[in-house]
Amino acid sequence: MDNGRVLTATTGLPSSHTLEVYRKHGGYEALAIALAKTPDEIIDVVKRSGLRGRGGAGFPTGTKWGFVPKSTDKPKYMCVNADESEPGAFKDRLLLAKDPHQVIEGTLIGAFAIGARRAYIYIRGEFAHEANVVQAAIDEARAAGLVGKNILKSGYDCDVVVYLGAGAYICGEETALIESIEGQRGEPRLKPPFPAVVGLFGCPTVVNNVETLACVPHIVKRGWEWFAGIGPDRNTGPKLYGLSGHINRPGVYEAPMGISLRTLIDEYGGGVPGGRPVKGVIPGGASCPVLRGDEIDIAMDFDTLTRAGSLFGTGTPVIMDDTTCMVRAAWITARFFAHESCGQCTPCREGCGWMQRILWKIETGRGEERDLDVLLSVTDQIEGNTICALGDAAAWPTRGFAKKFRDEFLQHIREKRCPLGGGSLH
Amino acid sequence: MPTVKLQVDGREVVVEKGTNLIEAGKKAGIFVPSFCYHPGLPVVGVCRICLCEIEGRPKLVAGCATPVEEGMKVITQSAKVREARKAVMEFLLIHHPLDCPMCDKGGECTLQDYTMMMGPASTRFTFEKQTWPEEDVGGKLILNKNRCILCLRCVNLCKTVAGKDEIAVLSRGEETYIGTVGGRMIENEMAGNIADICPVGALTSKDFRFRARPWEMKPVKSVCTLCSKGCNTQVWYHPRRNEVVRITARDNMDVNQWWICDRGRGQFRGIHHPDRLLQPTRRQGDSIGPTTWHQAIPAIADSLRSIVERHGASAVGVVASGELTNEECFLARSIFRDGLGIPNVDVVERPQPPVVYPKFTIEGDKNPNTKGARVIGLAPGPKGLGVKDMIRAAAEGSIRAMVFLRGGPLDLFGDAQAVARALGRLECLIVIDILPSPVSERAHWVLPGVSFAEREGTYTNSQGRVQRAPKVFSLRGDTREDWRILADLGRALGVWTHVDSGPEQIFQRLALANPAFAGLDYKAIGDLGAPLAAASADVAVG
Repeated sequence: MDNGRVLTATTGLPSSHTLEVYRKHGGYEALAIALAKTPDEIIDVVKRSGLRGRGGAGFPTGTKWGFVPKSTDKPKYMCVNADESEPGAFKDRLLLAKDPHQVIEGTLIGAFAIGARRAYIYIRGEFAHEANVVQAAIDEARAAGLVGKNILKSGYDCDVVVYLGAGAYICGEETALIESIEGQRGEPRLKPPFPAVVGLFGCPTVVNNVETLACVPHIVKRGWEWFAGIGPDRNTGPKLYGLSGHINRPGVYEAPMGISLRTLIDEYGGGVPGGRPVKGVIPGGASCPVLRGDEIDIAMDFDTLTRAGSLFGTGTPVIMDDTTCMVRAAWITARFFAHESCGQCTPCREGCGWMQRILWKIETGRGEERDLDVLLSVTDQIEGNTICALGDAAAWPTRGFAKKFRDEFLQHIREKRCPLGGGSLH
Repeated sequence: MPTVKLQVDGREVVVEKGTNLIEAGKKAGIFVPSFCYHPGLPVVGVCRICLCEIEGRPKLVAGCATPVEEGMKVITQSAKVREARKAVMEFLLIHHPLDCPMCDKGGECTLQDYTMMMGPASTRFTFEKQTWPEEDVGGKLILNKNRCILCLRCVNLCKTVAGKDEIAVLSRGEETYIGTVGGRMIENEMAGNIADICPVGALTSKDFRFRARPWEMKPVKSVCTLCSKGCNTQVWYHPRRNEVVRITARDNMDVNQWWICDRGRGQFRGIHHPDRLLQPTRRQGDSIGPTTWHQAIPAIADSLRSIVERHGASAVGVVASGELTNEECFLARSIFRDGLGIPNVDVVERPQPPVVYPKFTIEGDKNPNTKGARVIGLAPGPKGLGVKDMIRAAAEGSIRAMVFLRGGPLDLFGDAQAVARALGRLECLIVIDILPSPVSERAHWVLPGVSFAEREGTYTNSQGRVQRAPKVFSLRGDTREDWRILADLGRALGVWTHVDSGPEQIFQRLALANPAFAGLDYKAIGDLGAPLAAASADVAVG
C-alpha cells in the first residue's frame, strides 16, 4: 500500500478494521519484532524517534515510558486514552473505527515496553460503534494468539480490555481516566504522585493517546531514524489532522508534523466555502487559543504554535470564516468547559461559569466595557491555580478570543447587539 | 523519624519528613489559610486557598498537598500568592448568599474570617446567584447548599472516620453539590463532627442552630462522661442563660483525635433534663417530702451508724458507680470500706455493645470511670458481696441498709421484681443521683448530686488515662457536688476528718494512698490527661 500515508495507509480499504486486511498489509509484524527485543530497547527506540504524545500535551512518549519503575512488585498497567471529546477533535475516532488493530498493536508494544500485563482502552461512551469495532478486533486478535496468554509464542502475556466512559470530557485527563476505570467519580488527582509511579489501582501506569500508540508499530518496524526524519526538529513523525468548521472538505488528513496551516486549509481541506476569507482558526481543539486569519501561515507543530501564543493541541483545526461571531465562538467554547468542569476545585468550578455568563451577556448586547476587564481578570485567576489543566484549557481560549478579537467584543458592547446577527440561543 | 529543614518566608524550620506546607508553616509561625485541609482527613487539595509559592518553581502549589523538601524555600507572602488567594476568595463568594447575619455559623466561620482577612470587599459578579433549598440530611444536620464551598470535609469524614458513604458529591461543574443519595439520611453517629469541621454555614447542627452566638458562650475544656473512652470535649456555657448549650470535640491525639460521637455531643441534654433532682427528699411511710441538707446528712449518718452498731458492717451494702470521679471513688472507699468497714461495696456496670467505626470506637462500657473505680478499690472486700448478692441478701433481710451512689432502672441490678422486693424490705435506702429512677423512688433519702459539668474532678478512661473535667457552672436549686455530699457524710459518720477545699486536695490524698495514682499531680495532668502508673493500672487494689 503505497499512498505515502502511514497511520491511514489502509483506512480507506474495505474491511480495513479486520485482522485479515491488517495482516495483509504487514500488521502485527512490528509486534513480533518488538517481542524479540528487550523492553528497554523498545523504550530507547521510541525515545530516539522523538515521538511526542498526540493527545495534546506533546510529552515525549519514550520518556514517559521510562518513568515506570523497573523494580516493583506491583502490576503495571497500560491505559489507552480513547476519550477523544474536545470540540474539533475527531482524529482518534477514525483510527478506532477503521484501523483498530493498529491501535491494539501499538498498545501491546507499549505494554510490553513498560512491563504491563493488562491494558485498558478507555473509549468515550458516545463512541459506541467504535467500541464495538475495537472489541471485535480484540476478540479476533485474541483468537489469533495476538492478545492474551503467550502472545506470538513469546511467553509474554497481555490482556486488552475495553472500558467505556460515561460522558465526561474530564475523563480524558489521565488521572481522571484512571479514577473512572477504578469506578470513582471522574476527577483528576493531585500530582505528584504521577501515574507512572502511582496510577491505576495504585500501580505504575502509563496513559497514552490512541494516535500516539498507533505510531509505535511503525517506529519499531521502520526504525527511529525514519520517524525522526519526518517533520521539523523535536516535532517528528506523521500526524493526523482533523479539519472542521467552514471548510470545503472537512475530515481527517494525514500529513507530516509541521505542515503549514494554510496548506492544510487550502490544499487538504479545499479552502473555505464560497471563497470567503478565514477570520479565525482554533488550531488544535477548543482549548487552543484562536489564531486570526492573518496568522495562518504557520507550521503545525507543538513548538511553533506555543511560540505563537497558541497550542498545537490535538492538531485538529476549526476554521471560521468572516460570518462567524467571535464572541459567540468564545461563549460556545466557554460553555463547553463550564459544562465539563468536574467541579472539584474552586477556580475552575466557579470561574468557568462566570466566564460563560459574561460572554453571553456581551453576545446578547448587554455587556459593558468593564465586563471585558473582568473577563480577562477571571481567566488570569483560573490559570495555573487548579488541580488539572482543564482550568487552563478554559481560560486560554477565552483570553485568546477576547484579545485577538477585542474590537469585535467592544463593538458588541458599543452597539448593544451582536453585529453579526447573533445573540440568540439558536 | 527523619527530618527536613526548610524555610518558610525566610524563617528556618525543621519538620518531620512528609509534613505538608500548611503544617510546616504552622511550626514556623506562618499562617497558611485552609478550607478543605483537615489533619484528620485525606488531603483533597480542592479549595486552593492554601496556594503557596516555592522559590524556583513557576507554578503555585497547594500547601496541603505539597510535602516539604530539604532546603525548600516556601513563600506565602508574595504578590502572586496574595492574588491567587484573593481570587479563590472571590470565586468562593460569587454564589454565596452573604447571609452572615442570619447564618448560624457567624462568628466561627472560616469563610467569614478569611473574607475579613483577605477577601474582596465587594463582588464583581453581577449575575443571578445559584440557589438551593435548605434540607434535612439526617444525622441531626441541616444542609444549606447555598453556603457550601465543596471542601468535601463532610464527605470524607463520613467516608474515612465512619466508613459510610452516606453523603456524597453529586453532579459536576458549578452545579456540583453535596447531598445524600437516594433520599437516605445520614445515620452514622460520627456525623455531628461535620458541624464542627464544616468551614462554612452549610451543615449546621439541628440541636444547636439559632440557640446562641459563639461570642455569647464560654468554651470550657472538659471530658465526655458517656462511655469509658473519655473523649476530650469543649463544653459551651452560656452565662446569661446559665446553660450549657453545646458540646463539641476537642483534639486529643491520644484519646479521640479530633472527633466525638453524637451521643457525647447530645450530653448537654442530660444536664438540663427537666426532671433533674434539685432538692433532698425524705420518705416517711408513703409520704415523700422535701428536706434540707442540714437535716438529711446527720440523720442519714445516724441511721447507718445505728444499723452497723446493731447488725454489723455487713448489714450495709454500697452500690457505687463508674459515673463518679476518681476523688469521689476515693471518698466512697475511704468512708464505706475503710471507715465503716463495710465489705459489700461494688460498682454496677452498664455494658452495651460497642459501636466500631474504622477510625473511632464508641465503647461498650457506658461509665466514664469504671477503670478508676476498680483501681481505687470500689469492689467487694473480704467476704463482701457483689451487687447481685447484695440484692439477694437484702431480700433475705441480712442486708438492712443500702447506699446507691447512682440509681437506675431496677433491672440494672438484677431481676427487676426481685430488686423491687429487696429494696422494699430495706430499713434504710439512700440514693445519690441527678435524675429520678425506680431506685430513687423507693429510697428513704434522695440526695441530689450534680452532673459532670457542675462538679470538678478526674476520670480514668478505659486506657488508664486520668483526665480532668472542671466545674463549668451551677444549676439553680439545692444540689450539692457529689464529692461534697460524700465528704459531709463521712464527717457526720466520724470516719473522714479532712476538710478539703475541693477535688484537687482529695486527688493529692488519692495519689499518696494509691500506687496507681502515685506521682500524678492534679495540675500536671493538664488539659490532655496523663496515664496511670503503668504497672499498677491493671491491678484493682482491694
